[in-house]
Amino acid sequence: MSEPVMHAQDLVRHYRVRQGLFAPAATVKALDGVSFTLRARRTLAVVGESGCGKSTLARQLTLIEPPTSGALRLDGVDAAVADKPTLRQLRQRVQMVFQNPYASLNPRKTIAAALAEPLVINTALSARERQQRVLQMIERVGLRPEHAGRYPHMFSGGQRQRVAVARAMMLQPAVVVADEPTSALDVSIQAQVLNLFMDLQEATGTAYVFISHNLAVVEHVAHDVMVMYLGRAVEQGPKTQVLGSPLHPYTRALLGAVPVLKKADRRPRIPLVGETPSPLAPPSGCAFHTRCPLAVARCKAEVPMLRELGGRQVACHLAEVGP
Amino acid sequence: MSALLEVRNLRVRFNGFTAVDGVDLDVAAGELLGIVGESGSGKSVSMMALMGLIDAPGIVTADALRFDGQDLLTMSAAQRRRGLGKFVGKDVAMVFQDALNSLNPSHTVGNQVREVLRVHLGLRGAALETRVLELFERVEIPAAKTRLGAYPHEMSGGMNQRVMIAMAIACEPRLLIADEPTTALDVTIQAQVMDLLLRLQREQGMGLVLITHDLAVVATMAQRVAVMYAGQVVETASTDTLFEQPRHPYTQALLAALPEHNRGGPEEGRRLSALPGIVPGRNDRPAGCLLAPRCSHVQPRCQAERPELVGGVRCFFPQAIKQGPA
Repeated sequence: MSEPVMHAQDLVRHYRVRQGLFAPAATVKALDGVSFTLRARRTLAVVGESGCGKSTLARQLTLIEPPTSGALRLDGVDAAVADKPTLRQLRQRVQMVFQNPYASLNPRKTIAAALAEPLVINTALSARERQQRVLQMIERVGLRPEHAGRYPHMFSGGQRQRVAVARAMMLQPAVVVADEPTSALDVSIQAQVLNLFMDLQEATGTAYVFISHNLAVVEHVAHDVMVMYLGRAVEQGPKTQVLGSPLHPYTRALLGAVPVLKKADRRPRIPLVGETPSPLAPPSGCAFHTRCPLAVARCKAEVPMLRELGGRQVACHLAEVGP
Repeated sequence: MSALLEVRNLRVRFNGFTAVDGVDLDVAAGELLGIVGESGSGKSVSMMALMGLIDAPGIVTADALRFDGQDLLTMSAAQRRRGLGKFVGKDVAMVFQDALNSLNPSHTVGNQVREVLRVHLGLRGAALETRVLELFERVEIPAAKTRLGAYPHEMSGGMNQRVMIAMAIACEPRLLIADEPTTALDVTIQAQVMDLLLRLQREQGMGLVLITHDLAVVATMAQRVAVMYAGQVVETASTDTLFEQPRHPYTQALLAALPEHNRGGPEEGRRLSALPGIVPGRNDRPAGCLLAPRCSHVQPRCQAERPELVGGVRCFFPQAIKQGPA
């Protein structure tokens, strides 16, 4: 097993939000205690619906925001308590790929300039060396050398996402956090971009945190899966366990709700009533109890902790009960 | 089987660019037709042409465009809405992808549904109130009575989409066109909205045209599927036939590109079979078959001539019956 490159321990991020001019500010527990270990050449997929804290997690992992509490170790250094110069160093180790390649590239910069920028800011390479690295990367992500001088508007969505991936890879990061990197792309283009992600991982050993709501994509790229609901992980572990034999009723409902092509692969539907509750006023006890088909009195009163069961961790009082 | 909707050789052109290129479609009463294709395949534009929603410089032509025997070609867009036909919004309704952007932000959702009922059915007073509440309950909006006074921004995406559906079914249309109705929604909400659409379709015996890029959604819902590519229908068949025995190389490639299609193979978790290149844009449409530059089975004839839709497949060399190129 390769060494861990990123280790999150009980990451918490709360936001204070104003509810009106005179009303007291409320606290949104956008991320409420998430832990995981990520090793080189491995992919952790984070799945969940809107408002579950996926993107807040991405902001913590990329060191855009400090967590409210908890530890985030990168290359063995705790980024949560690091000083500014250390953070600056650490930020080079985690890069991000965003969902919308139409919005994430500067329209006024050529592809070569966009790719060279991370090198200009973070390295002492000469212009010539930078150009060399840029051209190498352009080739590596399946673009042609003549693309270097072009602007983002001259590219299709799939090609732009290749550029975005290339930019994230320029500093040879240990971890790339990809937030819904293919959901704006067509099926046939999505396949090209997913292949690129996997080829690059094989070649460079970069670890990925892959945030997606598309379970078929997750099943394809991930080694480990974390299912989130209202800021907490409800089930996490190896893909084969979590997606193959899910124990948490939310994971089961999520998998059952995904439309599946082949009749033989379809899973039993567990219809969920209602929608995700507002993170401003999360339900008591297990956050999922308001929509859970199995909920009993205990779920309303007591928050279930993540515990080891059947080769993964699951946060449910009734995980043994089965569907 | 009498066709509720009959479309023959529909073409939509914008400044010399053919966005929809000879589309034939039939929808029977109570049938669920799925139209799948990637962005730019013309799936939305062809349905908007039918609704009379294509403005200048768009030019719509067709050999036949009939709804329930009425010839739509002789009607202007305005007539389709209000004139002789008066069918758009009443007999044919449409649900769009982004509910929040399709609703008027400065009116309550209740008023927006009331407007439909007033304009098309002439309902007033108590009858109007009863019907609007009934519709909200029909589409399973919880606490329907209080939600009538809510503005779109106060509701979730799923709830707004339910309001859109309530507006669409307000006049009990015979044909509902749903353009990516769940694409902006989370999967558990998507499942709820799809169930709702299916239930309404069955209860009201509506024809339903479901436009989507998601093959799996179509596979689970539709009775018949039309696959579109670059403005043309390239393959059409019953859902089971199409997904089990795709014959057009494009359909096969689309299916093969899905991650779930690669599950369980020896290379599990690794490379997907991807269709190279992109959909041809307005300036690089090939002379022959539109798929020719990306097709793995291309022959000289494909580059010279455009194939017609024959026996449900637009290909000179339809693939023998087998699963996609692995």
